[in-house]
Amino acid sequence: MPDRDVERALERLLFDGDGMSRRRFLGRSGAAALGLTALGSALAGCSIEGEAAHGVNAAKAVSVNHPKASLAGLRWANWPLYIDKKTLKSFDKLHGVKVKYVEEINDNFEFFGKVRQQLAQGQPIGRDIVTLTDYMAARWVRDGYCEPLDKRNIPNIRNLASNLRTINYDPKRDYTLPWQSGGTGIGYNPKKTGRKLESVNDLFDPAFKGRVTMLSEPYDTACLVLLGMGVDASQAKIADILKAIEKIKKAKDDGQIRRFTGNDYTTDLAKGNVWVSVAYSGDLVQLQADNPDLEFIYPKEGSMLFTDNMMMPKHLAHPYGAEVLMNYYYEPEVAAKVAAYVNYITPVDGAREILEKTDPDLANNPLIFPSDDVRKRLHAYPALSPADERTMQSAMADVTGA
Amino acid sequence: MLRLSLRTRRTLLPYLFLGPGLLWLIVFYAIPLINQGGVSLMTGNPEQGYTLQWHFATYTDAISDYGTQFGRSVLFAGSATVLDLVIAFPLAYFIAYKAGRWKNFMLLLVVLPFFTSYVLRTVAWQLILNDNGWVVHRFQDVGLISSNGRLLASTKAVVAGITYNFLPFMVLPLYVSLEKIDRRLIEAATDLYASRATAFRKVTLPLALPGIFAGSLLTFIPACGDFINAALLGTPKQYMIGNVIQSKFLNILDYPTAAALSFILMTAILIGILIYARLLGTKSLTEAAA
Repeated sequence: MPDRDVERALERLLFDGDGMSRRRFLGRSGAAALGLTALGSALAGCSIEGEAAHGVNAAKAVSVNHPKASLAGLRWANWPLYIDKKTLKSFDKLHGVKVKYVEEINDNFEFFGKVRQQLAQGQPIGRDIVTLTDYMAARWVRDGYCEPLDKRNIPNIRNLASNLRTINYDPKRDYTLPWQSGGTGIGYNPKKTGRKLESVNDLFDPAFKGRVTMLSEPYDTACLVLLGMGVDASQAKIADILKAIEKIKKAKDDGQIRRFTGNDYTTDLAKGNVWVSVAYSGDLVQLQADNPDLEFIYPKEGSMLFTDNMMMPKHLAHPYGAEVLMNYYYEPEVAAKVAAYVNYITPVDGAREILEKTDPDLANNPLIFPSDDVRKRLHAYPALSPADERTMQSAMADVTGA
Repeated sequence: MLRLSLRTRRTLLPYLFLGPGLLWLIVFYAIPLINQGGVSLMTGNPEQGYTLQWHFATYTDAISDYGTQFGRSVLFAGSATVLDLVIAFPLAYFIAYKAGRWKNFMLLLVVLPFFTSYVLRTVAWQLILNDNGWVVHRFQDVGLISSNGRLLASTKAVVAGITYNFLPFMVLPLYVSLEKIDRRLIEAATDLYASRATAFRKVTLPLALPGIFAGSLLTFIPACGDFINAALLGTPKQYMIGNVIQSKFLNILDYPTAAALSFILMTAILIGILIYARLLGTKSLTEAAA
């Protein structure tokens, strides 16, 4: 039976069915030792390259020239439900192309983990625009992973809202262009809590035990908690942040916090499983359509302002195309359409004036166009060194993952 | 062309048959495994990169830091396996012996959940167990949980989720081994004045052991590494080792610790299986799988 033969061969291969003579044993162990040594030296030669390996530092003067080129094959990586796709169709028609718009970013770190090896080795990653949140954008700029923008191809950059024209990691917006901004504040259900909330510290009210979720991203959650502790989070040092994480840990140990989530806190909140969440402003506008009871507040102590930025990865194939696309989305008419769809804070001046004519309700929604009073209390993420950032991330991971 | 004697050809033929499978194992199993073994001994950070330093302390650190999650994985996966066995045995027995012409249909029902994605099915449980849902209210009515209690985001929910998700892996091998049993053996036992219960205990159960063994392994091993159920139905207090590995690999980019944790998990499971095989008295793994 061939069946038996196969089995016997396997056995011989794996277990050496007929016992080992001394000579053969020596021979085998010699071969094994040789093999191990070879393996060892092969392994010793390998390593995982760091982010800065082929980094061109951002500090050097930026001069770029991206001449006119074909737009065919342009690819944009963005977050799910983060655009009005009709605007993309119009762009396609305008330029006679088909932009590959891929909703592939669900988490900054997960996406980064996917492409970091290629970036570190100085290879193209196949995307022409990626949309990343401030802290991740900062990392890419620092490591020299983005191509500078040729602003001659983006004349509409003049419509960029004045409060976003400069940011700590890219003071002149040489590499990044805001896509949408939003506030990290508190989303809650007044019917369940039985009272109006106004403070960050309401997250820790024992009456809501087991009914609170927080975001697992420390830049959002720890910084917001820090604001509640009376510290200006945008100037925070790592020691402050660790104190906030300690406070979160205590609340978790007490059973106050039900879960640490990504974007998926919305289900629990809408279903009423959770009463109070650390939440993103835009999500709540969309959730209110399903559950009108829900409310979002910019807490009195302040809230975190995040911006997701369009940027071009190094060695991209279509720099000109990417810039033309960015320019298109900085037309106030287009930006107004996107704002009406995604309900986040648009970085494009002039969009509000257009919405006032087409959709006055939205134009007056304080979550989409916050009042000046609220704007003053919006804090940018603190600038942390890579080492501090790692300390913060692993401290938070210890809280969320255990 | 190379001319080989019949004998040589006969010896080589089986290796030829093994070739594709072995190649597959080497390329997609052995090499990645060796690679991860190397990674687990590296030190560094995402900024500067990781280099191989033969840093074995990563392993001891990983065990002392994440012992709780290891314990939880074994506990949850173990409970789910036992529950699965309790649920699956009567079901498999019924399908094998009593279902008659409905047999194939019932087997189809068992595998039907596989037509939907794993994550989606678990999310569905989030809705079923939600705090304001029917299930929770009925549990409260009969006093199984307090009026303010909940099912979701608890150990119960996680174990239930794992039990549900891995049930088919227990049913199918049990069904196969029960189906294979020669009915005449059971008849013979009753002919020899064994009661139905004794016949079951002395004949059916021992003959079904390979199925129990295979089913428990197919359930326990993947359940140990599972992180979906804990992430969706639990809280951080229910997180298992899979959750830690996932966040180390994907979010923190601490590859050495993640790789070390994976190796520890693999080794622990392997040792566990060997002990289990000894205890259950199955002579070899192949017998169980057959």
